[in-house]
Amino acid sequence: MKEKANISYPLFESFKDKLKPKRSQAQMALSQVNVFSRLSWQEIKIVENAVHIRNYAPGEPVFKQGDPGSGMYVIIEGCVGIFLDIPSQTPKQLSSLGDGDFFGEIALLDASPRTAAATAIENSTIIGFYRPDLMDILKTKPALGGKILLALSEVLAVRLRSTNGELVKASRKLEAFLDSEANE
Amino acid sequence: MSNPDFINIAPQSVRLFFQSFFKTLVYFIVLILALAGVYKAFPLVVDALFLIIIAAILTAVFNPLVDRLESSGLRRLYGTLLMFGGIFGLVALGVVKGIPTLLNEVGRIKDVIQETSATESLNSMMGDINSRIAEYIPGFQLDLDLISSLSAQFFGQLGSLLAGALDTLATIIFILIITMFFLVDGKRMTKQLIGMVPNRYFEMSLNITYKTKQQLTNFLRGQLLAALGVGIQSFIGLSLLNWIFDTNISGVLLISTIAGMANMIPFVGPFMGMVPAIIVSLFNNLGDPIAASHFYYIIHIISMFLIVQIIDNNIISPIVVSGSMEMHPLTVILLILVGSQIGVLGMFLAVPAWGISKVIIQEVYQGLKGHHLI
Repeated sequence: MKEKANISYPLFESFKDKLKPKRSQAQMALSQVNVFSRLSWQEIKIVENAVHIRNYAPGEPVFKQGDPGSGMYVIIEGCVGIFLDIPSQTPKQLSSLGDGDFFGEIALLDASPRTAAATAIENSTIIGFYRPDLMDILKTKPALGGKILLALSEVLAVRLRSTNGELVKASRKLEAFLDSEANE
Repeated sequence: MSNPDFINIAPQSVRLFFQSFFKTLVYFIVLILALAGVYKAFPLVVDALFLIIIAAILTAVFNPLVDRLESSGLRRLYGTLLMFGGIFGLVALGVVKGIPTLLNEVGRIKDVIQETSATESLNSMMGDINSRIAEYIPGFQLDLDLISSLSAQFFGQLGSLLAGALDTLATIIFILIITMFFLVDGKRMTKQLIGMVPNRYFEMSLNITYKTKQQLTNFLRGQLLAALGVGIQSFIGLSLLNWIFDTNISGVLLISTIAGMANMIPFVGPFMGMVPAIIVSLFNNLGDPIAASHFYYIIHIISMFLIVQIIDNNIISPIVVSGSMEMHPLTVILLILVGSQIGVLGMFLAVPAWGISKVIIQEVYQGLKGHHLI
């Protein structure tokens, strides 16, 4: 039995490997993003055809603070720093993002200026998914566009709920502080 | 003069100014020579570019329809083929049925204008019109030679234009084939082209391309719909005039087509549509003593075109034409003058071409400003 398994197992695995669809790096990266995580592989392939894959050198800005927001980014490979420009000071690094991380998804819905800058820290390959790409999907594949918009709305809802929670906590703290000040 | 820095800085800044001036001048001359070289050495490139521009404009017009077909689940290739099947069918029908009729009509009107007897009858009629006008406006005279030569030139050019269009049927088919490729694969081509833009300008280029394409599509679709609206209304109106008032206007289809196309030119266009109808009606009624005794049919034609314009300006255009076409009347007149250097086609294309350029310039400017590049 053991001998038999040893012979058939690699053959079966090799056959399974051949049947397994090949996923590109971009498809794998997109499937990890919550905006696209519920899409089928076929739908992810359509998104992959719509997105733009860009390479950035270390120190090269992905976007600058104040630029009109036009889309989201998913890091396939590399590292990107998010910086806050403060007048007459060196930019303050807020966070550092690595493989599979994404940022700027709200810009898909809103063209307001970027609140921080994103700069490549090392050689990075990044997927750019912009509003024109989303609009194009909405026009030609409305069902898929609807799924992406719904996922984006969920992201916004989670953030809004979290912000509301923070606001409640902060207002309670403020009330407690004002009460203690009044008692003193 | 007491400041020594001034003495040191001034000559250096002047030198720098001249250096940069001469550098710019050399670049400019090199650019002009390169452009002239490209133009002279590769006239084929210019022709190909012209075909590509026309195909790109057609793509902008048809793209929404193909997008709509694709959104209904049809593959893009099949959607494009389906649409082109319809277009080729219509073109074939137009070529077989419409063009010979139109050419006959143009030839007939041209012959009537050039016939001496007709001109003599026209002379007496014009004399009558001038004497009537003189009752109200003393000293006013309509110049018959001018009207005659202008109308002959107009119809002559139109005829050669249509005949030229037939001759270049192969070119039209070629343009349609390029358009088909653009419609099927245009998005991938645009993506690859934009992919070449450096990272710094990438987002801006993508946005500008998208917005320009959107504006261009809206603009062209609006213009064509408005032209179609005016054409259909003119056709109905002229047919009604023939039916009710017996105005005796022949070539209603041709005149309606001219009226629709001319409508793309603001201010002047409506008159360009009205004039052929009046001229044809005048020539067709030359031998009729009742028609010659009064010119009510001219008033009917003018009124009909005014009604068409009122409907177009107040109902159709506000719905279908984008606001980007708003232009100063002086700009329009200057554009038509410039366009007339190329001929009738130039007059038709000058204003829409300027409208398209305006949209592109506006979008590029807004994009550069938004990204703090200017």
